[in-house]
Amino acid sequence: MSLTADVIVIGGGVIGSSITYYLSKRGKRVIQLERDYFNSGASGSCDTMISPNTKEPNEHLQLALYSVELYKTLSSELGRDIEYEQKGSLLLIENQEELNIMEGIVKKQNSLGLNSRLISAEETLRLQPGLNRDAIVGASYSEVDADVNPFCLNLAFADRAAALGAQTFTHEGVQEILLHNGAVAGVKTNRNTYYAPIVINAAGAWAPIVGKMVGLNIPIKPRRGQTVITEAVPPFVHKLVNNARYIVGKHHPELLKDDHSAKARMGIAISLVQSRKGNVEFGNSREFVGYDTSNTYECLRELIKNATRIIPGLKDLNIIRTMGGVRPHSPDSKPLIGFVQGVPGFFLAAGHEGDGICLSPVTGKLVSDLIVDGKTDVPAAAGFDPNRFNLF
Amino acid sequence: MVPNEDEIYVCRCEEVTVGDIKRAIAAGARSVRDIKVRTNAGMGVCQGMTCRKNIERMLREAKIDLDVCCTHQRFTVRLLNVNDLTAITNEEGE
Repeated sequence: MSLTADVIVIGGGVIGSSITYYLSKRGKRVIQLERDYFNSGASGSCDTMISPNTKEPNEHLQLALYSVELYKTLSSELGRDIEYEQKGSLLLIENQEELNIMEGIVKKQNSLGLNSRLISAEETLRLQPGLNRDAIVGASYSEVDADVNPFCLNLAFADRAAALGAQTFTHEGVQEILLHNGAVAGVKTNRNTYYAPIVINAAGAWAPIVGKMVGLNIPIKPRRGQTVITEAVPPFVHKLVNNARYIVGKHHPELLKDDHSAKARMGIAISLVQSRKGNVEFGNSREFVGYDTSNTYECLRELIKNATRIIPGLKDLNIIRTMGGVRPHSPDSKPLIGFVQGVPGFFLAAGHEGDGICLSPVTGKLVSDLIVDGKTDVPAAAGFDPNRFNLF
Repeated sequence: MVPNEDEIYVCRCEEVTVGDIKRAIAAGARSVRDIKVRTNAGMGVCQGMTCRKNIERMLREAKIDLDVCCTHQRFTVRLLNVNDLTAITNEEGE
């Protein structure tokens, strides 16, 4: 079988499905290919947070704020409840040094339009009871932060796109990208051949493997995260809760370079959130271990130690499972979104690291703007141009 | 006698029925995890202990080749109290 379309999207995660939806909405004929099943990569092993508060105060934050606006009407637009809920997020500050850094970050966030603020330990406890008063000196708080069900989000995009005429094929891995006179002409999978003048690589952590098929050296690396999930309990976690240290370490790794603890080495954070059904998810790590998604005892130990120190009530809960996955890490923590110079028709939309859920809608919007109109009203879009890296 | 097979619960924790699983397979699901994403079967307190084998059987009956004979399951395998685990990990750490 062979099929022809305007655009082929490689990837069945929240980035690929969002792109498929927004392009279909603009009238493009789209074929979406996923080598395994929907949410089989990072989109199925992540937390649920839409958190501008954790973004670096630059173009990244502007992109996140645009996405937040799109999220507010997404359930009604897609005709399906994606469990979007604005909860607000806390970044817990544990000492004076972190407080000093967070003062600067909050100021920059405010100047870019995020209404975050520093609050006292007492106010932090009012917003999220149960925190260990002795463990924190305060927090930064952002009201617009929200959460969403990533399974529902991805399937809502894919199903809506299909209703608009997109063809989505799961369990079909791309094996070859067809070129004609150096330009993209289609792809060959384990089953079929598909033709289109534009191919979008939205394969997340696996984007470098797809890039190799056209001779590209995409500087994305898989970065593992591990997490813990408890049984459903009555409402207990009211906010999205993160460690400020995690953000400080994410944006200023040099500040943590003298910290050689297991916690710092594995990038341990609390990343605490409760789903609508009541399951509490906590713990997060950042480890470079290739594509290994297994859970390790050493990491889980640090996750639990960190989390129960900050919110001791977690000790009373029962764990039902642990989870591990790999995020697509980009060298400057910003995703790579745009046509690749040198391979006409080859478009890259990957490298969102831990921000894929947050940036899913805006990425789809941005990609469809660039492909349909050749320009976009998404602010600071040029900052994500993949050609900022040497891709050859 | 069951009046309607489709109404039987396969996953009791998440209240997923035979009909839900059939619809997921019809929508293209080809593995237990694929079905989990679409229906939440296996995501509850027993983590698929009851439903996993039955879902695998339904997949086989639908003539879908499973890659593996049994679906990989993650730690903790059984419900485990955070405090108990903290106690064990503290001993290990010292």
